[in-house]
Amino acid sequence: MTEPLVHLQHVSRVYEMGRLQVVALRDVDVAIQSGEFVAVLGPSGSGKSTLMHIVGCLDRPTSGQYTLAGTPVAALDDDRLAALRSRAIGFVFQSYNLLARTNALENVAAPLLYQGVSRRERYRRARAALERLGLGDRVDHSPAELSGGQQQRVAIARALVTDPALILADEPTGNLASDQGAEVLSLFRELHSAGRTIVLITHDQEVAAAAGRQIHIRDGSIAAGEIAA
Amino acid sequence: MSIVELVRLALSRIASSRLRAALTMLGVIIGVASVVALVAVGQGATSGITARLQGLGTNLLTVNPGSSTQGFTRGAAGTATSLTADDANAIAALNGVAAVEPEISSQQLVAAGSLNSTTSIVGTTADYATVRAFTIWQGSFLTPATVDAGVSVAVLGATTADDLGLGANAIGAQVTIGGLPFQVVGILQAKGSSGPFSQDDQVLIPMATARHYFVQGDTIRSIGVSVATPDQMDLVKAEIQTTLEQRHGIAAGGTDDFTITDQAQLLSTVSAVTTTLTILLAGIASISLVVGGIGIMNIMLVSVRERTHEIGIRKAIGARGRDVLAQFLIEALTLSLLGGMVGIVLGVAVSALIGAVAGWGFVFNPITPLVAVLFSLLVGVVFGVWPARQAARLDPIVALRYE
Repeated sequence: MTEPLVHLQHVSRVYEMGRLQVVALRDVDVAIQSGEFVAVLGPSGSGKSTLMHIVGCLDRPTSGQYTLAGTPVAALDDDRLAALRSRAIGFVFQSYNLLARTNALENVAAPLLYQGVSRRERYRRARAALERLGLGDRVDHSPAELSGGQQQRVAIARALVTDPALILADEPTGNLASDQGAEVLSLFRELHSAGRTIVLITHDQEVAAAAGRQIHIRDGSIAAGEIAA
Repeated sequence: MSIVELVRLALSRIASSRLRAALTMLGVIIGVASVVALVAVGQGATSGITARLQGLGTNLLTVNPGSSTQGFTRGAAGTATSLTADDANAIAALNGVAAVEPEISSQQLVAAGSLNSTTSIVGTTADYATVRAFTIWQGSFLTPATVDAGVSVAVLGATTADDLGLGANAIGAQVTIGGLPFQVVGILQAKGSSGPFSQDDQVLIPMATARHYFVQGDTIRSIGVSVATPDQMDLVKAEIQTTLEQRHGIAAGGTDDFTITDQAQLLSTVSAVTTTLTILLAGIASISLVVGGIGIMNIMLVSVRERTHEIGIRKAIGARGRDVLAQFLIEALTLSLLGGMVGIVLGVAVSALIGAVAGWGFVFNPITPLVAVLFSLLVGVVFGVWPARQAARLDPIVALRYE
């Protein structure tokens, strides 16, 4: 059996709030193989955002082991963590999180800036990514000039441009009208069938149904086991 | 990230908020401009004064009579009648003395045709031109022969010639000095100094002639001594002092009845004063530069707060703390450097204007803008580091949530 791409073992995350300790994740074990499309499903406050932050290398576990693409994350300092994010993860957020006053091309090219890719190569790859997502005629539009669905597709192009091992999507359809949401989900399914590993975090059962496997999380623990597709 | 990418990022940011950038830079612009302008003014004033002093003669020592004492009352310097032509001859015989000119003077009315002018008539010798660094514009200077013979010839200062309506063709013309006829043999090149003690407003005549017609007694008003080389100045000064003390019967350590003024000493005193003034002015101007830097820091702090969300996004897509630090630092540096360059142009323009008005011309020292640019960069670093560190330290999760 190959080493899982995402591998959490006994991961806990405890927030210290004054003298109070809040346990956001309690002894979580998750293993996601390369090429899987997994939905993490849970109501708000269940700890799924904390899980997303840890899987996305934005945060470190308080205890337990997390290995991403063979790299143990707990030991990394902030700069190494940033380098790992840059190399291995593409984020898609609920609120798109595009750079305002920056056109689509620059937005998609931005992650490559931190990999030290030359300007011409950055623009070439960003343009190609936008064209793959049907936004070839929108490269010089700023986020404010794009619809929600278009903005989310720019964000997906940005997540794909570095060719990351893992796409991490946090409620990617949450701000979209249902038809645009469906479009985004079918896009994820396409990416999955093209071999991408996708982790989709949502509270919505219907959205989670798009994934090949669901992980239910409740009160900081994996609930009801893992449901295989 | 390369520095080119960072500067490009900073420039696009500045271009997207031009008014704010311009207002932020204004502090640095004013600071750098005032440093450049005030230093240039200081240097211009120094070079103007230096040129004027050097125009008085190179390696010049001037011996003047001391003060006279009547009873218990000591008079002003120069009132004593202690220097004689023999003193001048004794000084001329000393080692290291290139030329000596004794002079006596009297105010007289000079007239040519219907024009006249009351000016200083100086009786001197042929070495006057050498010692006092005059060159002849037209005709010739007093020669040893005319001086010894005591003939009635005159060399006019440039201003005096102008006042009398005498030009290039006036050589050989007649003028009257104190009612007596004199022949003009030469006109001096103007030195450009002005004011009541202008060196260009005087008439030079042979010593013996002046003594004969205008100045009674055998005392000398002053003796100008030209020293052969600058490093002999102190030596010659001491020699003159010893010689004159012996000749006047003054014991070593007693009160001298003469004073020796050193041109170089005067020059170094003046330049020391103007240098101090320049530093003072630049120091005051630097305060505005510091205020400008604080303005940049203020705006950068506001900017970090405003762009917290952007910082969160950049960190999520792979920016390291030092990438964010560099981005904000380079932005502050770009602001201060742009401000510095505009300030230099403004400062140079202002100093050229002041130079033109004050009459010392355009003094441009390339060191000043260089220092100003380095200083404005320093301001950028000093006042940009803190906001940039604030940005770099932001937690990406918190920053992403910030709207």
